[in-house]
Amino acid sequence: MLRTRPWVPYAYLAPAVALIGLVFAYPVARVIDFSMRLIRGDSGPFVGRLNFELVLEDPTFHAALKHSAILLLTVPVLVAIALLVSVLLYDRVRGWRVYRSVFFLPYILAVPVVGIVASYIFTRNGALNDILHQVGLERLAVDWIGSSRYALLTLMIVIVWREVGFGIIVFLARLLTMNEEAIEAARIDGAGWWARLRYIIVPELRGTMEFYAVVAGITMLAWVFAYVFTLTKGGPGTATTVIELYIYNQGLRNSLPGMASAAAVILLAFTTVLITILFWLRARAREEEIA
Amino acid sequence: MSRAEAPALPARRRPGRLRLRPGKIVRQIVLAGAGLTALYPIVFMASTAFKDRAQYLENQYDLPWPLYFGNFSAALRGGTFFLWFKNSVILTTGSVVLCTLCAALAAFAVARMRFRGRDVFFSLNVALMVVPPVVMLIPLFVLFVDLGLVSTYQGTILIYAGLTIPFSIYLLANFFRAIPRELIESALTDGATNLRVLVQIILPLSAPALVTLVVVNALWVWNELLIALVFLPEDELKTLMVGITVFRSRYNLDVPITMAGMLLASIPMILLYVFGQRFFIRGLTAGAVKG
Amino acid sequence: MNQFERPLSRRQLLRYTAGGLAAAGFAPLVAACGGDKESAGTGDTGTGAAKPGNLKMWWWGEQEAVGIKKWVDDTVAKFKEQQGSTVKATLLDTDAVIPQFTEAAAAGNVPDIQFLFNGIYHMENVWLGYLDPLNDLVDAKVLENSNATQLSVFEGKQYRVGFYPVGFGLSYNKDLFEQAGLDPDSPPEDWDSFVDACDKLKAKGVIPIGGGVKDGYLGEWYLVNTLTQNLDSAQDALSLFIGELDWRDPKYHEHWVKLEELKKAGYFNDDIGSVELYQGIQLYDTGKAAMCFNTTPAIPNSQKQLGAEKVGYMVMPTFGTGSMAGTPITDTQGFGIPSKAADKANAAAFLEFMHSDERVNAMWELSTQIPANKSFDASAIEDPLLKTIDEKWVAGDTNVYIADLMPTLFWTDAMFVNSQKILNGESTGEKAGDVAAEVTAKWKKQNPDLLENYKTWGTDLAEA
Repeated sequence: MLRTRPWVPYAYLAPAVALIGLVFAYPVARVIDFSMRLIRGDSGPFVGRLNFELVLEDPTFHAALKHSAILLLTVPVLVAIALLVSVLLYDRVRGWRVYRSVFFLPYILAVPVVGIVASYIFTRNGALNDILHQVGLERLAVDWIGSSRYALLTLMIVIVWREVGFGIIVFLARLLTMNEEAIEAARIDGAGWWARLRYIIVPELRGTMEFYAVVAGITMLAWVFAYVFTLTKGGPGTATTVIELYIYNQGLRNSLPGMASAAAVILLAFTTVLITILFWLRARAREEEIA
Repeated sequence: MSRAEAPALPARRRPGRLRLRPGKIVRQIVLAGAGLTALYPIVFMASTAFKDRAQYLENQYDLPWPLYFGNFSAALRGGTFFLWFKNSVILTTGSVVLCTLCAALAAFAVARMRFRGRDVFFSLNVALMVVPPVVMLIPLFVLFVDLGLVSTYQGTILIYAGLTIPFSIYLLANFFRAIPRELIESALTDGATNLRVLVQIILPLSAPALVTLVVVNALWVWNELLIALVFLPEDELKTLMVGITVFRSRYNLDVPITMAGMLLASIPMILLYVFGQRFFIRGLTAGAVKG
Repeated sequence: MNQFERPLSRRQLLRYTAGGLAAAGFAPLVAACGGDKESAGTGDTGTGAAKPGNLKMWWWGEQEAVGIKKWVDDTVAKFKEQQGSTVKATLLDTDAVIPQFTEAAAAGNVPDIQFLFNGIYHMENVWLGYLDPLNDLVDAKVLENSNATQLSVFEGKQYRVGFYPVGFGLSYNKDLFEQAGLDPDSPPEDWDSFVDACDKLKAKGVIPIGGGVKDGYLGEWYLVNTLTQNLDSAQDALSLFIGELDWRDPKYHEHWVKLEELKKAGYFNDDIGSVELYQGIQLYDTGKAAMCFNTTPAIPNSQKQLGAEKVGYMVMPTFGTGSMAGTPITDTQGFGIPSKAADKANAAAFLEFMHSDERVNAMWELSTQIPANKSFDASAIEDPLLKTIDEKWVAGDTNVYIADLMPTLFWTDAMFVNSQKILNGESTGEKAGDVAAEVTAKWKKQNPDLLENYKTWGTDLAEA
């Protein structure tokens, strides 16, 4: 540790703290205040829990909540695909570096670009269905984004398509730093591919998988706006409306910043719970390691 | 991406791994299928951009022939594309520079100085990494109207810098901590001030972490949609990401022009990726692999 | 402009991308941040006598009524010649119209003349004190002649003068009608003959009605063309939107039942759920669909693509029994003067100048667009279809565009949801009525203060 006069560290922190104050602290305090008012202008009359009641009884919010929860289901899918592909690549099949570049490419594209391109590929008479017809899979040629039944699934497919590249790269990077002796020893002992995956690779990757799962989980709860906005705008109906879009619509489109703030507070509570669980898991894992 | 294949394989690679076995073939099939899936939307975007409208309506998935270049001039006509591009460059550069500066100072204090509240600050900082931006959206807008910061580069740069700073402090602090104490102490005995220690010793040693940070933050700001949408609505200030959503509605009937626009918007990042793949991948995985 | 660079309708504008949304919602926020709102009505009054000045105008319309820019530029030049004032006219991008004005109004940095959409799209600005009533600024005759419609009036004051009219109905392809054995010169007027026509067209292997509902605007156009038929006045529509009439009453959701019928009979293109409004219209413009919901300023473009002789336009065939049934529906784009405008007297003088007889007739000559002014000499129109459009949709007896009264929440949660679900085969007309009733109740509960403004507005409509 450097020895400094007592105020010096704070001087170093000051610019960052000022930014955090401006962008996080003040707005979060304000959003809590807003959530208890009927906001017209920069404030409005205090209405207590009314906004929360209105949000909680709003069917559109229920739909948004349900869809955000369903989007969380993509997390295990992402982890599984990333694990499978990265392990295959780790075996250094011919051309693995090319594959690695290819799998990462979608992640380089901006989300709005992905959303817009997908919105054309997935139309009823779009390229995907054309291809399905060509190869004789007409049965699979559904109305991907035009029907409530499939739109959320399509959204999930698009999200997985782009986000999984990051997982593959992260897992592979971790695998490449792994000590290979253990795997080699297991192989000599006659452990099959599956056993090596299950008993050696997965435990070794656990930390990285956890990290990725958390990043992906937060993405699903709090960063899918750009996907939804460019792919479906929440439709058809409310079939792909998620919490983020609900807050945006309620606050900006429907002129109800108070209700939007209440929904934002609820979302904040969710993410706080999530991160607390994570901290707790980590702390426990560390204790186990020590023990 | 042939250069990805070129470098020598890692030393750990064992001979004999390339022997053709049934398992290998299955793996190649799985990987090739996954690779095609990863590439297809990009191929669709690129090939559609080189079709004229009639060719596209006739066949959506074929490769374009003869190549048609008119979409690009149509997409670039009027120069707004370059304007949006310029705006994105300004915002990305401004916020990445500001964020990196503030984060480096703060991370230095956190990693290398003793002060009251340090651990609390660091934990809070980690927690901020998961706060969804949509939560702050409405109060920030109200505040920025008061401050006259809506529709200004400065205002939006502050928001982006603020939103990216928690992760930046986290990453840099972890890196700064790992720098050997002896290096710093020898500088101190030479009479260097704290700031000089940071600038002349710590930062140069942290070049990889700084590159990581710049890559991650630049990618994030470049691709951001929600904040740009709300805080820079005026045409002359739109970012590329907001621009392409406008673009899409403007050329709604001419998918090839839209795709040409999408392709143009993606080219900077694709080029960066192709020529700086190493930095990209290392940058994006650095935070993850340790965790 | 590329001919496929298709303009957005103004409805898209409000709700379309970010900007529009941001402004629509942030309007009340911005209002309070904007400082003093006292300036309404102060300042110069009267007409004409002002000294020449420099005016700023923000306008929109070239996107919808292609060619009208020529007239705007010419008017600006002539105004300078004759009255000495310069006007800096800025054509806004579609998404910018509403947010740019709202933010400017908050910051107090407004143009002297602002383009305004009708009804709720500018009424919110009125409620926030951003716009001046024009009664004391602009010649009463101009206010009267410019067809700004009753939806520009609040508490007896008028806030816009008209720019150009937008009529609503169905475009149809005369060629395809003839091939299907239908009379191309007398399109169906009642529901049964409409359904019969659809059947015949379908039997011929054409798509009877082309459309795209992914972005929802088709749902809005459909609702206006059909719900209006069961209403007796614009006030009825307002009463429905604020829950004083009941959507569950069969006649108020009959239009959705009819939509369900059309869908079930297979009269729309199969990808209607996954394409957008103008992609649907494109099916008509390329001759693949025999009909489509459309607006009158788009007719010249269809004529260019299909050939003028093939393009026909009709009022939505009727099933309804309200006193508004069967009458064409027309809306008007317009201009207003912001309360913080620097030079209201000259702004008013410019609005009056736009409506001088010479300028009114020049709009048709220069831009082939019909002006929003009763004194327009329609004998200049030679194209028979456009002549009919002028007679029926502009000069004739018309209904207002009731979606101008629709609260945004109703748009998103009821109109949008219902039309998409019905056209996807996932809902019925009756269920749609229930949804509309629930959404209306929800809106009332969430917006007690807006409800009051709406009620006051309703009184104005009743008096009109």
